[in-house]
Amino acid sequence: MAAKILPVFKFATKVTIAGGALYVAYDSGLLGDSKEGSVTLGRAKAAIPPAVEEWMKYFGFELHATPKIEFSPLDAWNSGVQKSIHALSVTPSTVSDYTKQGLQYVKDLTK
Amino acid sequence: MSEKELGQKWDRCLADCAVKFGTGLGLGIVFSVVFFKRRTWPIVFGTGLGLGMAYSNCQNDLRSRYVLHSKVAKEQ
Repeated sequence: MAAKILPVFKFATKVTIAGGALYVAYDSGLLGDSKEGSVTLGRAKAAIPPAVEEWMKYFGFELHATPKIEFSPLDAWNSGVQKSIHALSVTPSTVSDYTKQGLQYVKDLTK
Repeated sequence: MSEKELGQKWDRCLADCAVKFGTGLGLGIVFSVVFFKRRTWPIVFGTGLGLGMAYSNCQNDLRSRYVLHSKVAKEQ
């Protein structure tokens, strides 16, 4: 009797765990719209530092403070794009200037 | 669509991508451990599902400006 019930009980437990995980993901808006997703990410970011601090207190050791990197990839990319396009736009005039200078130098040499 | 609006949409897309990737990975791990004897494929499948959902959401969000809306007038 018990041998027959045990596999059913095990399967029911597994279904409960997996179904519960799926329900929690659905309920907290993780599987929804992009707006809900970004709201959930914001909430998670706000919740992580206090949670980490509590766990540190519970275990009794301190983490080193994360070094703050003052580098913005967005600014670097944007300035790179601006500089490249500016260089491309002045290339014809720069090339003609250098060509004239070169020709003048050669003329002066042949004089 | 203005530049600012487009930038906000892309930001939302990236945030949603991260959330769905993590959710897919997490649920894949749960299902792999519970049902599939710790095999790798449920994890990969879950991650792929999450990324696919994020892609679809992004697509709808970026296209939403240009979708025509209409109402069917009721016959009286």
